[in-house]
Amino acid sequence: MAVKDLWVFSEKTSLQAELLAGARTLAEATGGGVAAIVVGDETSAKAALAQGADKVFWLGEKADKLVEDFVPTIAGLVQSHKPCALLIGASKRGKAVAGRLGAALDTTVITDVKKFFVEGDVIQASHLIFGGGAVRVEKSATETMIATFGLGIFEPLAADPSRQGEIIQVPFIEPKTRWTLRERKPKPPSTVNLAAAKKVVCPGRGLQKKEDLDMIFELAGLLEAEVGATRPLCEGLDWLPRERYIGVSGAFIKPDLYLGIGVSGQAQHTVGITESRVVVAINKDEEAPLFAQADYGIVGDLYAIVPELIKALKARK
Amino acid sequence: MNIIVCYKFVPDPEDIIAKPDGSISFEQAEWVISEYDLMAIETAVQLVEAHGGKVMALSVGGSQLSNSKGKKDVLSRGPDELYLVIDDALSESDTHLTAQTLAAAIRKMGEFDLVICGEGSADLYFQQVGLQLGELLGLPTINAVSKVEVADGKLIVDRSLEDEVEVLETVLPAVISVTTDINQPRLPTMKEILKAGKKPITEWKLSDLELAGKAEKRIEVLNVRSPKQVDRKRIKITAKPDEAVQTLIGYLSKEGVL
Repeated sequence: MAVKDLWVFSEKTSLQAELLAGARTLAEATGGGVAAIVVGDETSAKAALAQGADKVFWLGEKADKLVEDFVPTIAGLVQSHKPCALLIGASKRGKAVAGRLGAALDTTVITDVKKFFVEGDVIQASHLIFGGGAVRVEKSATETMIATFGLGIFEPLAADPSRQGEIIQVPFIEPKTRWTLRERKPKPPSTVNLAAAKKVVCPGRGLQKKEDLDMIFELAGLLEAEVGATRPLCEGLDWLPRERYIGVSGAFIKPDLYLGIGVSGQAQHTVGITESRVVVAINKDEEAPLFAQADYGIVGDLYAIVPELIKALKARK
Repeated sequence: MNIIVCYKFVPDPEDIIAKPDGSISFEQAEWVISEYDLMAIETAVQLVEAHGGKVMALSVGGSQLSNSKGKKDVLSRGPDELYLVIDDALSESDTHLTAQTLAAAIRKMGEFDLVICGEGSADLYFQQVGLQLGELLGLPTINAVSKVEVADGKLIVDRSLEDEVEVLETVLPAVISVTTDINQPRLPTMKEILKAGKKPITEWKLSDLELAGKAEKRIEVLNVRSPKQVDRKRIKITAKPDEAVQTLIGYLSKEGVL
C-alpha cells in the first residue's frame, strides 16, 4: 500500500460517525490517517473532526445542488491523493455516488460490506451474495478500494469537540450531466421500526389470504411485537408495506423473539433474522428449512396453532 | 422512443446448495432472468406502449446466455429485439467489466433515448451496474427510480430515498435503475410466447466490441463460503395444537421472552 490513508464519505451524519470509527480502527493497521469528505456548512466540517477524522476535505455547502453533483469533485480528490480506501455510507444516494465514482475512476465498488479488515497488508471486505446464501471475501484490484457500508457495521466513537485537524476547502468541479430537482415529497412517516423491535411476528407464504393478517396482528398485539413479513407478502402480493419486509434487500432485525408463521426459511429471508435471540417456527411442512434454524418449532397448521396461541396468551393476561 | 433494457441471466438463488465443507454449488441451479430485472423490462414495455418506439433487451454474460429457453423467456415479456454479448470472459464478471461491456454494446447498437436497469442482480446484488453504465456513457444517471414519465424529450422520475421522494428531471438520453416495487411485471401470454420465437436476436463476442479499456475485472474474489449458521436448539414440538402451544409457551417463558 503506497498511501495508507482511509477516507470516508456519507451525507448522513450518523453513518459518517460510524464510518469514521471504522476507518480509525483500520488506520491503526495500515498506519495511515483518516479523512472525511464533507458537503455542508463549516459546522459539519468541524463535526467530522470531532467524530474522528484527522483531516476534512470540505466541499462547501450543498445549496441548490444534489449530493450526486459532487461526484467529479470527489473523483478529482481521490485521483490526486490516492487513499487506500474510500468508505461510503450505503444510502441510496451513497450508492449512486459510489457507482458513478467507481466508473469515473476506472474501478468498481464493493457494496454493503459486513466485515472490513486488513490481512497482511491487503484490505479485505466481505459481503453477502446469492440473497444471503453465501459470504464472499473480496479485495480491490485497484489502488483505492471503494466500498459502501450500511448502519450498524461499526460502533461510532463518542464525539470529541476538542479534536483538532486540518480543514481543506475544495473547489467545486461542475458535472457534465445534471438532474434538476423539481420537488421533494415527504414519505409517509414510517410507523414500523423492525430494527429496534424486541419481538417480531413474521408471516410468510403459508398465509392464504390477506384477511388472515388480522389474526397475525392480533397475536402481535398480545405479544407486544412488531409485524414483519417475507418478501412475497410485501412485493408481489402487496399485503403489507415494503418497510415490513425482512431479508436481503429489506430489514435486518435483532429481536429477543422472532416468531415465523408459515415461513419456509429461504436464505434470502433468514439472513435478516440470524441475530434474533430466540427463533420460533410454526409450519405444517416438517421439512421447512426454518426448523433447522429455529430454537423451537411447532409442526402444525398455522390456522390451528395461531388461534390456540392467541387463546393461550389471552388466558395468561 | 427507443429503449434499451439491460438484464442479467443468473442461477436461481433458491437452487444454491451449501455443501458440508462450507463451499457452495449452483451446479443444480436453473438459470433465470434476474428477478429484479423483470421490473426494468416491464417499465420499458409500458413506456413504449404509451409513447411508441421499440424495446431492445440487452444482456452480457457467459455461455448460459446461449440457452434458447432464456432468450425466448425475455422476448416473450415484450421486448422487440434481443442483443447478447456472450463470452467465457464474462461468466464471472464484476460490475466494472459488466458495465464496460454493456457500454460498448450500447454504443454499437445505435440510437436510443433511455436505458433501464434493475435495482440490483438477484445473485450478487451490488446495485452498481446501472450507475456505472450511465457514468461510462457520459449520460445523466440515477438509481431508486419508482416512477417514470417522459414528456417533450424530458425524463421526469420519482426517486425513492430512505426518508423522502425526490422528483427529478433531466434531458434524454439517460440511464436509470428502477426499484423492485415500480410495477408488477405481467406474465407472458401464449401469444407473446409464440411471437417471441420470430423476434430478431443479435449475438456478439467481446472481440466484436470496442471496450474503453481492457476486459479486466476490478475485484479479486478471495473466497466464497456459506454463512456460519447460528447454533439453535432445534426443539421440534409435534402435538395437538393446544398441547403444542402450551409446550411452546413453557419454553418461551423460561427464555424470558414473553
